[in-house]
Amino acid sequence: MEKILQTSLTPEHVKLGAKMAPFAGFNMPLQYHSVKEEVIAVRESVGVFDVSHMGEFFVSGPEAVKFVDYALTNDFANAAVGKAVYSPLCRENGTVIDDLIAYKLERERVLICVNASNIEKDFTWLKSISGDFNCKLENCSDDYSLLALQGPDSVAIITTLGVKLGDDFDYYSAREVSSPHGNLIVARTGYTGEDGFEIFGGHETIKVIWSELLKEGVSPCGLASRDVLRLEVAYPLYGHEISDDVTPLDAGLKWTVKAEKESFVGKEALSNYKPKFRLVKLSLEKGIPREGYPILNSEEEEIGTITSGTMSVTLGRGIGIGLVEKDKFPKNKEFKIKVRKNAFAAQYHAKAFVTGGHK
Amino acid sequence: MASLIPETLKYTKDHEWALIEGDIITVGITDFAQSQLGDIVFVELPEVGTRLEKEGTFGVVESIKSVSDLYSPIAGEVVATNSELEDGPEKCNESPYESWMVKLKVENMSDLDELLSPSAYQEICDE
Repeated sequence: MEKILQTSLTPEHVKLGAKMAPFAGFNMPLQYHSVKEEVIAVRESVGVFDVSHMGEFFVSGPEAVKFVDYALTNDFANAAVGKAVYSPLCRENGTVIDDLIAYKLERERVLICVNASNIEKDFTWLKSISGDFNCKLENCSDDYSLLALQGPDSVAIITTLGVKLGDDFDYYSAREVSSPHGNLIVARTGYTGEDGFEIFGGHETIKVIWSELLKEGVSPCGLASRDVLRLEVAYPLYGHEISDDVTPLDAGLKWTVKAEKESFVGKEALSNYKPKFRLVKLSLEKGIPREGYPILNSEEEEIGTITSGTMSVTLGRGIGIGLVEKDKFPKNKEFKIKVRKNAFAAQYHAKAFVTGGHK
Repeated sequence: MASLIPETLKYTKDHEWALIEGDIITVGITDFAQSQLGDIVFVELPEVGTRLEKEGTFGVVESIKSVSDLYSPIAGEVVATNSELEDGPEKCNESPYESWMVKLKVENMSDLDELLSPSAYQEICDE
């Protein structure tokens, strides 16, 4: 068995009494006191997540931006310096290797943040397609810790760290900054739908920042509340809505595939692809959708599967997102979810379950 | 954190408590179980009249992120369920020993001999 990894903050989580569990090979905090209270903290005030398990790659050199734009389905070439872009990373056949955020830190320097469970797979892939580009690709995942400071009070809190971001530091901005605790890369991104920041730094720097944030009264939040928060705003999670078996077009991510780009991996396959699935957002009055539960039409024929489900703390209802076979998508938009022995009528949501407060 | 294990009750290795009154037992989940589950948001109970096998599932208790089966400590018939938990599942967190789930009519009184004493259950929690 592989040894379980720690983040630089694992001992802090244990000290705080967090419920710990292995996730993507790391010993991670699932929750501290209460998942419910953590969700409310992020929606109404501010919380902080240790997400140091995630991977960081740097691409540098004259063709760094050109290479990243070629690797991603979304448009990275036209992003301004100091901006970040969310994108799937696809194979030639259009299936999803991972989803990630690429940060254009300088004209010739890009940070890519990837899912922890896909670090090796992504790096091997990127390396294999980078040969024709004049750039250097480095996996620096072991050198960085990462915090996500999320919630409406994030802006007020980040200024207490002595970090100056300026008025133009809007949604999806990214910048290298100095702080009294060491150098950081700060981005106005997150996975909760709320305003907030992701803060990358060396392990010692991030340890200080973590304790400063807790001293300011920021609630420590675990992976369980992070999952509830992302599901409430219907953000996809790799391994659930997207995976090696589907394309971005099967999972409601058409907006991230810029077929008009001159050249990118998967362009031909995705330009001709007829989606097999359609992503649906459903909720139940009674009962909680869970991963793997069948989605039925009003005739109770199975037409799809729930890929992620939870109790929504914000709505007080069970919510789920799932993939429905495109040619079986019911015109009347009437769905049922099979919960153990019973099929319950579900409410169809055209938009996310919750509107986050990010600007 | 030590959890509460009342002396007046019997227990199962699946973290349920049982109050024995003649041939009727009242069943719920223990303080240890509720603290492990975290915020309980849904409880599903059987219909009155359902016959349960010993160690058969009789319902589920769900936290925000998990689904756990409930196991019957004995063979018997469901004679009452606590419908209050359907509207107030958080009561299982707040007062686990008042939040009973089902009352069962015992078929074989010998099943009761296999229930755990408070001290035997304490050992399971300490493991």
